[in-house]
Formats: sequence, structure tokens, C-alpha cells
Amino acid sequence: MVLLAGLLVVGAFVSPVFLTPNNLLNILGSSSVLGIVALGQCVLILTKKFDMSVAFMVGLSGIVAIMVQNAGVALGLSFVVGLLAGALVGLMNGIIVVATKANPFLVTLGTSTLVYALSLSITRSRTFSSPYEDFLVLGTGRLWETIHYSSVLFLTLAILLELVFRYTTIGRSLYVIGSNERVAHLSGTRVTRTVLLTFITSGVFAATAGLVMASRNGSTVANSGVGMDFDSIIVVVLGGTSLFGGRGGALRTVAGVLIFGVLNNLMVLLGFPAVAQQIVKGAVFLLVIWIDSALREDKR
Amino acid sequence: MKSILSALGHQTALLTFLGLFLTFAIFLGSDFTSLGNLSNVTRTLAITAPLVMGQAIVLISGGIDISVGATMAMAAALSIGLQHYGAVVSVGAAIAFGALVGAANGLLVAKAKIVAFIATVGTMSIVRGMMLVYTDEGSISNTVPGFGFWGGGSVGPIPVPFILSVSLMLVLWWLLRYFKIGREMYAVGGNKETAYLAGVAVERVQVTAFVWCGMLASVSGVLLASRLESATPQIGVNLELFSIAAAVIGGASILGGRGGAVGAFFGLAALVILTNGMNLLGITTYYQLATNAVLLIVVVVLDALRSNRAKRQSLRLSPRTVEDELTPKREPGLGGPHPL
Repeated sequence: MVLLAGLLVVGAFVSPVFLTPNNLLNILGSSSVLGIVALGQCVLILTKKFDMSVAFMVGLSGIVAIMVQNAGVALGLSFVVGLLAGALVGLMNGIIVVATKANPFLVTLGTSTLVYALSLSITRSRTFSSPYEDFLVLGTGRLWETIHYSSVLFLTLAILLELVFRYTTIGRSLYVIGSNERVAHLSGTRVTRTVLLTFITSGVFAATAGLVMASRNGSTVANSGVGMDFDSIIVVVLGGTSLFGGRGGALRTVAGVLIFGVLNNLMVLLGFPAVAQQIVKGAVFLLVIWIDSALREDKR
Repeated sequence: MKSILSALGHQTALLTFLGLFLTFAIFLGSDFTSLGNLSNVTRTLAITAPLVMGQAIVLISGGIDISVGATMAMAAALSIGLQHYGAVVSVGAAIAFGALVGAANGLLVAKAKIVAFIATVGTMSIVRGMMLVYTDEGSISNTVPGFGFWGGGSVGPIPVPFILSVSLMLVLWWLLRYFKIGREMYAVGGNKETAYLAGVAVERVQVTAFVWCGMLASVSGVLLASRLESATPQIGVNLELFSIAAAVIGGASILGGRGGAVGAFFGLAALVILTNGMNLLGITTYYQLATNAVLLIVVVVLDALRSNRAKRQSLRLSPRTVEDELTPKREPGLGGPHPL
């Protein structure tokens, strides 16, 4: 939070447009897709796991939704189908990880490519548009002409998730699993079921973000979420959720998303070339994770 | 007979390679076995092989390197871009750059104690960004005469890079098998704590493995640049997964302590032949992509199952109590009399 405030002050100094309400709302709006992906990622990271398939999941759910719309399915139902695609990929990831104890990072990198290949084979590398005008509202519309619907969705999901983390048995058990899976098992937590559920959650969140993204683009783009696999991990850790499991939360992730969004916005306003931003992102990523590792060393 | 079979059982990569080779040779006939195609396949294999062997070395020492593709791309760009200083300088700079990235990875993993795949994801992002800035997101080409020989030339029917890669493979095999540093890599990858207690300088071994890997990835980059006589931003994209799959098919394990240079070479050979066969069969890119993805998942899963079994067997040998499981594992640097 201190970092965020600091960035806002710096931003106000370096650019006159930065601290206008419109710019700030735009930052929130443009960060919300990544934000929703990051919330799902956050659930997994709490249990010390990763989902690298979220990036192309964003593309897949949009493609699935628009393709079924073109096949004559109603708008609401097409959303359900898109989310279902996310749940299925999440389930697949979860089953592989739970059943074989394989490294979740590598498994989901594999399914990530698989999801991308699936997206490409569905559209045969062509672009399709949604037949519904209303479809665009989710991604481009604003509530009371001010705040983006996507931002509202992101913040609502974050608050709901925080409540689940704090006040439900399954939410609390995520922290136990993240701290020590063996202890969680011995103390009666249903580890297998919970881990499966976290992977499904992450898939569904990525699919939700994909629907927002597709609605913003109005058409199918298979790689529309590219880079979000790493970015979502960056923002989760930036917000203060530990990569070593068992520490963190949804509202912290919101803070991470905002810091990241502000940082991106500042780089654009200052005229950084897009490719140089990648270097900065990588450096920030390493720095944050280094601090995370150092904090963990201190605690022991 | 039984011993022959069990010996063969350890050569998954060689068997897969031979099996695929024979299958394609029978079904595709002269399309596949023609001198042109085979020399093309060997050249592709030879150019990527150093990088895959580097990945294998990092895996042996218990790490993993996601930044290899980016390092390869930057090395290719440097070896082309610095040629106005002469080819020796540009190639030297490219390989020095690889060593630098490797050292950074090694220090992040060994000193800052960041999990290897996370640390190397960070360096990948930085190095890829540097490459894009350096080449201005386009392709660069500017070659001094003779530079193309190392990646594109042939001695008789044999491509020059093939000769280079096979020599490199033999050197690495020798280093890993008969040198102290090589044996230490297996020790560290097998069990860091045991290695530390046995007097191995764990951190130095980890850094060395990453430095070798960075340099080998750079060799691949230089060879590719020499073959293409240019460097493009597409170089090395997705190669991190491909190299892990190849190394693991070649006997390495994600959990460390296993594998070797020769295995990695044949693991890669199997994958390159698979890609070539799919191309000749006219299979579209996305099915090829899907095949590679499934292959990676299968390889990772089989590797995990194999180590689960090994773990169970060691449990059976020395039954551990619940309390043992609950006591936090001591990592090197915390348990010894002298902190690392």
C-alpha cells in the first residue's frame, strides 16, 4: 500500500494527466482483466501451486463463447459455456497434478500450449465476431457512465474471494495446505478435493477474464491473454502473497494489480518503448520475489 | 539376455529415436531418407543440441532453466550485431553474455534462494526484452564472409555444426563422468544436504551448472545465427519447454541427480525427427503444437511417477515416522557447523 501511494505521488509529479480521475479509472479498467486472472492465480499460490495455462485460457473462453454464439446459442448461455471450458481445463490440470504429484508449473505450461493449440484449431486461425451488440457492454460499458463494468466485476470478485478466504472452512484450509500439505492431510483437511477445486477456480476466473477480454475486442483472438501467466504471478506476489504458500489474500492482490497497472501507465505516459517495459517488468518481478524469499528466510 | 534388456531399458531416448526413425523411414520412404532431408534434420539437431545439453546439466544439478531460449536469441543477435569488430569478438561476446546470464541465474538460485524456475522466468523476461530492444524488434543481418560456415557449411555430406555438437557432447560426457565438478553436479542434484555434508561446495556447483547452460545456449544461438546469417526475434521462442522435454526423454529428471549429455542429445534427436516426420506428413502447425504439449505433459508425468516410486521404495527401506515428516527439513547452510 505504501508502494502504491508512493507511485501515485511520483506519478502526479512526472505527468499532469496522471492524477486525473479519468486516467485513474482507465488504469483500473484496463487492469481488471489481468486482475481477475490474478485472483484465480492467487487461490492457487496460497496452496503453493501455479497455473501457467491461464494466459491462453483467456483466449480460449472468448473463442468458445463467440463460436457458440455464432452457432445460435443465446448470450447468457454462451457465457456459461465459456466458463465451463475454463472449469474443464482447470479440472484437467488439477487431476494431473493431484494424481501424479507432478510439478504444477511444468504440467500447466504443457496444458497452456495445448489450450493454445485447441484455440487455433477451433478458429482455424481466422477471426470471428460476436453476433450480439450487447456482448460488447461487459468489456466496454461503464456503470453510471463512470466506472467500467469490468472494474466492478473485478472488485466484486475480489471482495467475495476475500470473504471466502477469511470466513469459510474451505478458504481457511487453503492456508493450511499452503503451509504444510502433510499437516493439512493429517489434521483432516480433504487436500485432494480442495486442490482440485482451486485449479477449477483458477480456470473459471481466467475464463471470466477471457469473456471480458473478448467483449472488449468484440472478436476472437487466440493469444489475447499472452503474458498474463507471468504477469498474474507478478501482481499476486507484488500484493504480498508469498510464493511459498500459506500467506496472502485477495485484497492484497487487488493492491498488487493496481501497483502494476500504475507502473505500466506511468511507463506509457513517460514514453517508454513497449519492449523496454518488458525489461522493467522482469526486474520488478525478480526484486519482489527476492524480497519474498528474504522475508521467508528471516522468519525461520 | 535379461541384462541386455535392462540396459536397453535405461536408453529410452535412443530407443524412441530408433523407433521413430524406422517408422518414418518405412512410411515416408525416400522423402524422409533422402540425403537432403537427413542433412537438414542433422543440422537442425546439431544447432539446438548444445542448448538441450545445457538444460540437461542444469537439471542434473537440481535446477531448471527457463531463460535458455531468450539467451539463445540474444546470443544470436550479439554474434550478428557486433560483427564490425570481427567474428571472433562477436562470437566471444555472445558466449560471454551467455555466461553472464548463467551466472545471474546461478546467483539468484544459489545465493538468493529463489526457486529455479521462478528466478529464470524473471531473467528470461529481461533478456528477451534486451534482445527486442537491441534488434529493434526486427531481424538483423550483417555477416562477414566465412561466418556462415560454422552453422551452414558442410564437410563432405556432414554438416559442420553436427561435427561441433558431437564433439561438444563427447567433451561434456567426459566432464560429467570423470571430473570432480561433474560428479558433484549429480551429488548436488540428488540431495543437496547430503552433498553439503559430504563437503561439496553446493552453491559453487549450482552456479557452475547455470553458467555452463548459459554458455551452451549461446553456442546454439551463434550456430543458428551463422546458419541463417541473421537474427530474428522469433529465435528460441518455446524452446524452454522443448529443451526440458528433450532432456527428460534423454534420462534427466525434473527432480535432479539424473541424466547426461549423450541422453539429452538423443532425446532431442527423437523430438527433431518427430517434428520433421509431422512436417513431411503435412500435419498442420496447431496439431504439431498440441502433440508437443501432450508430449511435455506425458514426460513430466512419467518423471513424477518414477520419482514417486523411488520415494516409496526408500521409505520402505527406512520407515519414517509421522514425526520425521513433520520436522522441518534442514537446508544446506542451516544445518552445518559453518554457514555456507
